[in-house]
Amino acid sequence: MSKGALAGSLIVEMASRVCGEYCGKLLADFGAEVIKIEPPGGSPTRAMGPFKDGIAGPERSALFGYLNTNKKSVVLDLSLATDRAKLDNLLVRANALIEDSPRTYLKRCGTPDRFPHLVECVITPFGSDAPDAMQIATSLGVINAGGWAYHTPSEAAPHLAPLKGAGRFLPDCEAGIDAALCLAASLFRQRRSGEGQSIDLSEVEVQINRVDAVMGRMLAGEAEPSAARTAYDMGGPGKAFACADGFLYLFMTTKAHWKGLCELMGQPDWAADFAEDWLEFACTAERVALFRERFAEWAAAQEKHAVSEAGQKLGVAIVPVNSAADLPDNVQFQYRGYFQTLEHPVLGQALYPTVPYRMSATPVKLATPAPALGQHGGEISL
Amino acid sequence: MTRPDRLGPLSGVRVLAFTKVWAGPYAGKYLAHLGAEVIKIESRSNLDEMRAYGGVDVDAAPYFLSINQEVLSVQVNLKTPEGLDLVKQMVGQSDVVIDNIRGGAMERSGLDYAHLKAIKPDIIQLSLKMWGNEGPLAYQTGYAPSFAALSGLNYLVGHEGEVPRGMNIRYGDSSAGAYAALAIVAALNHREATGEGQFIDLSAVEAMTSLIGDSLLAWSVTGEVPQADGNYHAEMCPHGAYPCADGAWLSIAVADDTQWAALRRALDLAPSPSHLTLESRQADRHAIDAAIAAKTASHDATTLAENLRALGIPAFRSASSIDLCSDDALWQRGAFRMVSDQKSGSRPIIGPPWRMNPDQAKIERGAPLLGEHNDYVYGELLGLPPGDIAQLTLRKVID
Repeated sequence: MSKGALAGSLIVEMASRVCGEYCGKLLADFGAEVIKIEPPGGSPTRAMGPFKDGIAGPERSALFGYLNTNKKSVVLDLSLATDRAKLDNLLVRANALIEDSPRTYLKRCGTPDRFPHLVECVITPFGSDAPDAMQIATSLGVINAGGWAYHTPSEAAPHLAPLKGAGRFLPDCEAGIDAALCLAASLFRQRRSGEGQSIDLSEVEVQINRVDAVMGRMLAGEAEPSAARTAYDMGGPGKAFACADGFLYLFMTTKAHWKGLCELMGQPDWAADFAEDWLEFACTAERVALFRERFAEWAAAQEKHAVSEAGQKLGVAIVPVNSAADLPDNVQFQYRGYFQTLEHPVLGQALYPTVPYRMSATPVKLATPAPALGQHGGEISL
Repeated sequence: MTRPDRLGPLSGVRVLAFTKVWAGPYAGKYLAHLGAEVIKIESRSNLDEMRAYGGVDVDAAPYFLSINQEVLSVQVNLKTPEGLDLVKQMVGQSDVVIDNIRGGAMERSGLDYAHLKAIKPDIIQLSLKMWGNEGPLAYQTGYAPSFAALSGLNYLVGHEGEVPRGMNIRYGDSSAGAYAALAIVAALNHREATGEGQFIDLSAVEAMTSLIGDSLLAWSVTGEVPQADGNYHAEMCPHGAYPCADGAWLSIAVADDTQWAALRRALDLAPSPSHLTLESRQADRHAIDAAIAAKTASHDATTLAENLRALGIPAFRSASSIDLCSDDALWQRGAFRMVSDQKSGSRPIIGPPWRMNPDQAKIERGAPLLGEHNDYVYGELLGLPPGDIAQLTLRKVID
């Protein structure tokens, strides 16, 4: 059994937010030994729901349970010199340190150069040199300051509020990926040079980077930046439609898509009013609106999985808008073994999402559930 | 003719990229921005669509130039046996191969992992497809909004009680690319420690699913299927975006009762003894949102955001594209920066969201012209004499 791509790396995580904890999780799931340093009351995410049976408690948070698989927990009170000395001993041995506050431990202790071999990754909303007032941004502030909220959903109506994205922590997960990427790259450099590196990651800049293909053209003057809520949109009939048992998403850009869709719908009379190549050459707002009106009537009677499968076989990019409950039964998720069952002493047996990469030599495995507060204090020599 | 040392943590790593459109190129860009030498395999007869969108000049295509900075380009016609042979020689000189081209295409060209491993035993190969490289649904195709819909992510995005319209249609490709870059760098660490390469099969659908992992585990633990919930947040109220003057919007997230009291005073909201706790505010949140909106509507969003932040309330203007492009702080920090451009001298781009010290990778050169690095790859890496390169061009092996 492989030990994971980052087996042998020791990473200290001092995170108080989801972005730092997700970064640590990604690395722990690669097999790194991630030691989570928690304050006496526990990580703030232990106090965030939802909770098992609706009852709050440090071991009852599903959020904490998700973000901390494969990690170890040690409680340290950093107001005490003895505990700071323990942390320093750990950092001497560690390969890397994750933090998600601009007031980092190394800065607070006035000795940023004490661990020259150490990779230090600091995640902050606007970069570690931003003014203090900016650093109070929550996930909502990050996705709004980064532009995705303003442009979500596509074709946003001017009177409807910009949206925070999926769940509470979408921008945190995005930042966590980039932090883990940078940290892993620095570990690679450390293997070759023995040297540490400090990484300063801006969560808002991660948001902006994710739209490079669209915004780069605006920066260069090839597309017009504006106050329009639709400035990221691409036109065309792509959209979610209500159907008999939920929602469908249809995307179409080509003649082949259109011909496939007509066949899927059984060549309805109204489709004959559209030129075969209308998507390429006559895709006006009026045509799109008319198409959507007609298609919505047809879609309303369809079942999402059956019609999507039939459409895909005709080359139509039509898919179900899956809910959480649709995913574990999906044959492709099952084939790839994306969900894994894990037993947690309080949360019980549950289905955990894993990672989107199947690795032939170092498959990711959730070996241990999230640790109890301070569970590993006795076994890690400090 | 040797390449300049660009420094960075991945300096010395060479990546061959059979990538198109956005997700694959984004992974390549990220590796290049960390210092890797990324060589994009291109051909005039099988162009990256991004070289064609938005104009007729394949060397000045806006989308392409916006993604592929510090990437090298070599022309090879993979439909010729000679071209395939040359690519295999390049594999022999590389550490990583990435592809996000049509399912089965790498296999048909004999560029699947078994073959590449025979050429370079410790090669790391990553394939990025909508549903992954194999399995019962691997035949299906789609675009970013398709995999955001399949993944469960789009189901969670929408105004309360409406059709879940999902994230903006552009969302998805770049995130999948970032996960791909991460998996590759993890595999590089493993190879450095053990000498072993591997094959990585990435599903773009699962990339999106992984971004909502906490919501999915919550469902498994509680049995409650998460729904599109507007800007609702279980731990914060008020929590949302509120209209301001000139069509602008301001996001406000109130984390505790102190912030609520400060917000109430700042906006001169009517006293509300029944809203002192999070629970009571949640119960009445639509009315609270309406009351806040009535107060914010006449304010300038930027000024009000600054004033509220000065009181410790996390308030941030919801940025439009013009807000972002004209944000001085982003320019000063290097989030936006200039690179060289063959046609116009220089071009602004979105730089990486990280700063590293020491040994930050240099990002100075814009996206490559088609075949800009033919001489480097064929001459320097493969050691072909100039006459052979000319012959290959004449026979359209290099096209």
